[in-house]
Amino acid sequence: MTARRGPEAALLNLACLLLAAFILAPFGWMLISSLEGEAELTRRPPVFVPTPPTVANYAFIFTGRLPSDTARHGIFVWQTSYEVRLLLPALKNSFVVATAVMVANVVFGALAAYSFARLRFRGRRSAYTFILTSRLLPAVAVAIPFYAIVQGLELLDTHAALILVYLAFTFPFTIYFLSVYFRHMPPDVEEAALLDGCNRFDTFLRVVVPCAVPGLIATAAFAFMSSYNEFLFALLLTQTIKAQTMPVLMAAVATNPAVSHALLAACVILAIIPPALLALALRRYLTQGLMTSIAK
Amino acid sequence: MWRSYSYPYVTVLPVLVVVALFTIYPLVYSVHLSLYENVLTRPLDNDFVGLQNFREVVTGFYFWRSLWSTALFAVMAVLAVTLYGLGTGLLLNQPVFASALLKVVVLLPWAIPAVISGIIWRWIFDGDYGVLNGLLLASTAIDRYVPWMSNTVTARICLVVAHVWKQGPLAAVFLLAALQVIPGELYDAARIDGAGRWNSFRFVTLPYLRATLALVLIYETIVAIATFDLVYVMTGGGPADATAIIGWYAYTEIFRFLNLGHGAALAIIIALLLGGLMLLYMRALRWEEVY
Repeated sequence: MTARRGPEAALLNLACLLLAAFILAPFGWMLISSLEGEAELTRRPPVFVPTPPTVANYAFIFTGRLPSDTARHGIFVWQTSYEVRLLLPALKNSFVVATAVMVANVVFGALAAYSFARLRFRGRRSAYTFILTSRLLPAVAVAIPFYAIVQGLELLDTHAALILVYLAFTFPFTIYFLSVYFRHMPPDVEEAALLDGCNRFDTFLRVVVPCAVPGLIATAAFAFMSSYNEFLFALLLTQTIKAQTMPVLMAAVATNPAVSHALLAACVILAIIPPALLALALRRYLTQGLMTSIAK
Repeated sequence: MWRSYSYPYVTVLPVLVVVALFTIYPLVYSVHLSLYENVLTRPLDNDFVGLQNFREVVTGFYFWRSLWSTALFAVMAVLAVTLYGLGTGLLLNQPVFASALLKVVVLLPWAIPAVISGIIWRWIFDGDYGVLNGLLLASTAIDRYVPWMSNTVTARICLVVAHVWKQGPLAAVFLLAALQVIPGELYDAARIDGAGRWNSFRFVTLPYLRATLALVLIYETIVAIATFDLVYVMTGGGPADATAIIGWYAYTEIFRFLNLGHGAALAIIIALLLGGLMLLYMRALRWEEVY
């Protein structure tokens, strides 16, 4: 297709810009909110340009230091919002869990997906179908048994519990995605390596992996994001800040009726920085990955 | 360990074990739970009750109310996400300058947690200090602040807007993938045959999109019915249970009323419902023709 010109192109450009505005505006409003004091934020009509912008909300999250203008709009909101001080430990928990899930998906997921894609072995088809269809069970339908399993393993309120559960959730997509990906790679080089006496594992490691880097990056990002974003099981399986992840903490903060909205907005901005950066930096891999995943 | 006969089993086993542990056991356990009386506040009554839990669930007033809320939400959400995704996909596929910009930001809402999306939109719709109220008031569309989240109709719409914002990008990228493989010659041929813009969309684009649209519809239906995070942070099921969709209802049944038997029966009903819906979709869209 060639570039369009004239009034039609202008209309299309306008539509794209409006859509981009709809996507970005909520983030923008959160950023503005996070730079205002509570008093400025709860004004009618809303203030769109914080004057002056303040980093007091961020400072409170990081250091627990009350802002200098506390006296003006009361110390009460700050006391009731003290939970936001747990954001950093919660983010750390999220990172530990999501990174572990990501690494396991790239290592074990890729190994298994390669076997499914290239090797013939007994039970291959049924194992593959079983792994894929396991995701059709709705999450809430397995909530109680998951709790029971984790309790039985004595893993309640640990990172390990969340990692295990998220692995069960992310493996099926990884297996599907990577086996499609590996199957689309030309088999010639692998066959040459095998003829030269490399065993399967060496072939995989030295020949397949270097060629599959884009697919592995997409896999890693998907696994990381879905673990970082998961809420229901994090809510069920954790009890204290020892293991509570960011979405659990944010939900607790947000459903507190006396919370400071300015603080909440600052928390939102801090919490979305990692996935937003990932989405922007790995945009091509993610888009390409998602497109491969549906194109068969 | 890397001997050729055992290699596939060794590599597949770790994945298989984790998936099986969290699939087979939960299924058996859920069925077992659903057939026994199991209320955590009465731990000693643990009799086999057959299908009584199922009977009690489906005759419950709140169950039907929640099904109604679920159906309303799912229909609105699936239609809205699919149309939004289709529109976005078509725009992304246009060779104009701003489409490249859109491509950069389109995945952002999809990348962040649904919990965060809920928090952001709840703050936008806020009845006391919400920016939506501020903007509407400034443009004189309303004459005083409206508590959007306190009215059953508007609360449902707020939930759908937040859902579409978060969920639409994925549908858009899926549909873009399908749009990009449509051969350009077909459009030339359609133009030569005298087809206008609508007709080439209707007779070239849509038939090519059918398989992907089917997948998007199925996937989005599952996602909409299972919506939980958004309800948890935005509405808590309210007002007056208007947004107590079935995932939320099952959660409250289990964790507020601590009735595991009911919860498990409900979970099985949800799973069957979703399975039935998927079969219906596949038949309606004549799956065999598509693949």
